[in-house]
Amino acid sequence: MEQKLRDEAKALLEQGKVDYIIGFEPGSLKFTTTPLITSNPDDIDRLVINPFIVNNLSKFLIEIEGRVGIVAKGCDSRSIVSLIQDNKVNRDKVIILGVPCPGMISLNKVELLAGKSRDEIDDITRDGGKIVITVDGKKKDFPVTEVLYDNCLGCELPTPQEYDVLLGEDSALVTDRAASRKKIEELEAMSPEQRWNFWKEEFSRCIRCYACRNVCPACFCERCFVEEAEPRWISPVPQWQDNLLFQTVRNIHVAGRCTDCGGCERVCPANIPLRALTREMYDIVDDLFHYQAGTDKDASPLLTAYELVETEDTFR
Amino acid sequence: MSEPQLVGFLCKWCSYAGADLAGTSRKKYPANIRIIKVPCSGRVDPLFILKALRLGFDGVLVSGCHPGECHYQTGNYRARRRIAITKKFLKYMGIEPQRLQASWVSASEGGKFAEVVTEVTKDLKEVGPNQLFTDERQGNGTKAA
Amino acid sequence: MANKKIDKKNISKLLKKWSQEFSVFVPSLENNEAIMAEWDGKDISFLDWYRNTVKPPKANFLPLMEKLFSFKKRKGNYQIEVPPADKSKQLIFGIRPCDARALTILDMTFTDAYEDPYYLARRRNTVLVGMTCTDPYDSCFCTSLEGSPSDAANVDLMLTDIGDSFLMEAVTDKGKKLIASASELKDATSADESKATEVKDAAASKITRKIDARDIDKKLLASFDDKDYWEKVAAKCISCGICTFLCPTCYCFDINDEMVKNQGARFRNWDSCAFPVYTKMPMENPREEKWHRIRQKVCHKYEFYPMNFGVIACTGCGRCIRLCPVNWDITQALNSLPVKV
Repeated sequence: MEQKLRDEAKALLEQGKVDYIIGFEPGSLKFTTTPLITSNPDDIDRLVINPFIVNNLSKFLIEIEGRVGIVAKGCDSRSIVSLIQDNKVNRDKVIILGVPCPGMISLNKVELLAGKSRDEIDDITRDGGKIVITVDGKKKDFPVTEVLYDNCLGCELPTPQEYDVLLGEDSALVTDRAASRKKIEELEAMSPEQRWNFWKEEFSRCIRCYACRNVCPACFCERCFVEEAEPRWISPVPQWQDNLLFQTVRNIHVAGRCTDCGGCERVCPANIPLRALTREMYDIVDDLFHYQAGTDKDASPLLTAYELVETEDTFR
Repeated sequence: MSEPQLVGFLCKWCSYAGADLAGTSRKKYPANIRIIKVPCSGRVDPLFILKALRLGFDGVLVSGCHPGECHYQTGNYRARRRIAITKKFLKYMGIEPQRLQASWVSASEGGKFAEVVTEVTKDLKEVGPNQLFTDERQGNGTKAA
Repeated sequence: MANKKIDKKNISKLLKKWSQEFSVFVPSLENNEAIMAEWDGKDISFLDWYRNTVKPPKANFLPLMEKLFSFKKRKGNYQIEVPPADKSKQLIFGIRPCDARALTILDMTFTDAYEDPYYLARRRNTVLVGMTCTDPYDSCFCTSLEGSPSDAANVDLMLTDIGDSFLMEAVTDKGKKLIASASELKDATSADESKATEVKDAAASKITRKIDARDIDKKLLASFDDKDYWEKVAAKCISCGICTFLCPTCYCFDINDEMVKNQGARFRNWDSCAFPVYTKMPMENPREEKWHRIRQKVCHKYEFYPMNFGVIACTGCGRCIRLCPVNWDITQALNSLPVKV
């Protein structure tokens, strides 16, 4: 897949079909990758495809001007479609280089299994349904479902449905839907007061870095409501009440556009389980309106569409 | 026990007019409601609902034209979807479902408006005062990382 | 005074002794995130896993949010109540040399022109017990910035892991007092001292990430207007606040009044120059473009701070590299400056 990607990307640049290529190159730390945004064909050989290409690159489509060739996994391509539905991205200006995604490996999970930090691990390789972790020369294997990100475990469309070039065959993703919803199930088993107290505790640790909002492709407002001073909806002072309000409103605002890429939870420096909110919203939208974000670029976005008679009319 | 404070976002064309009619027809309804006029129920951002709860209001009522009768054609359809999603999500978060209620009240339904406010106020009395955002802990506060 | 040592099995007793006088902060795990938190009186398992915290120790001196004063409106006047100065004594156990050096760097800002009473009250009432790093991260680069995993210059007492015990070197009078008030200490032997030196040298040699900091301020000045370079460097940044909030030398803050009816309080909270709205004003935003903000962030640390205070405002702790959502790497940005001086 990697070589095919490099060939395609180089051709796109050299033939002048795109102004930029957005993909992944090896990161500056072991087992990481970092976005590569380039207009130079000489940079293309740095492009990689591996189990650590976690970022949802579609976020960069919002800022960038010009035609772009972009590497997209299943969830990423859905985010691109969602942006097309919202008229934030012009389909004709994007060439989607689709990657059938076998699931991304969570370094946090690997570290817990190996009992070692990322930089103390020799090697992490995927071998079919297994993951092989090498520490101090010794190999140990685990079922791959124990190291994939939670959102990957619940992924319904790992192979991009919207693409210009598909870089591979089947995704070979192994899912575990129950595991991907574990936190949600725990919360649903609690009483309402327990749930609210849980979120109170979690959001007492929020430092309002806004990484969750900034990685999210669905958050593209030029002026986010948290930055309004008149009226001031929430204070910049990170008290739990306003932290909780921020995340609650953010989730409702992105309802129907969130594709459960898991970016928000992955980047949170306080390890707040944000997917317990985003995935729940994703499922609420599916339950109520049989709508999955980013699966039909010609469909009206969820909250601008309507049926004359909805299945659930909660108004008196 | 103190009286519950209810904020109502009423659409100007239908529900606000309906509330006016309730007044001119001398229909009695609880004075617990504070009304904010919006051009359309579709104007109501769930942000307003959460902010009202944050400020300490015990409940929020969103009221608009009946589906099919929106002055702006489709605004209330959007409100319907948004409120449905918001209600489910807030319930999941642990907020009592009675705190967010919605109604279709037309300009001629003064009586219905009075009924709605009466019922919602009753619900709020049952569910008790909004303690959701109290608790002045500093959390990340003055000491420690 | 000859150095002392303490057996690891007696660390609990030591911390308990110090807890009588100080609020003792030790490395703790909160939801799998390493932070400094008040010792619970029992758990010393951090000795097994501690490398460095996610939130830097600046949080103990310049908290994420703090109340500066409260106010009440009375008959057209404001009655202001300033909270009493924080006299609580803190002991931070296990602070790393990079983070301790960062506090010294922060001191320069908080004593320049105006002495910040809130920050300084805490600083003066805190003792720092440092710990030599034995396992630097692959993101660490302190040795390029006049630091080292064993640099004791900015702590009161320095501990070095020599196997079953910690060598204890008093650096300041406060450190000597700590030793005097401790129990279960033994005298360190010359074998202990040699082992400590071995450990310190080994740690320094484990640092693989390097930058060339020579004349970096001049190089940055020369490339200040290189829009192409900075745009390329800034392209993948997503303008969140992680690098600045978790940086031990970043200190930007915002001030906000919270008011309900006729009373309220003025708060100070962390702010970030990476945020697009940081420099937003009614008529314009001088750093609207991302590359302006990234350039500013780098230059502030490596050019302007040295200009004003004579020291680079970075200690190579590597948190920004480790925790950036897109793995933006300041060492790469600095090492590839297209300028020769």
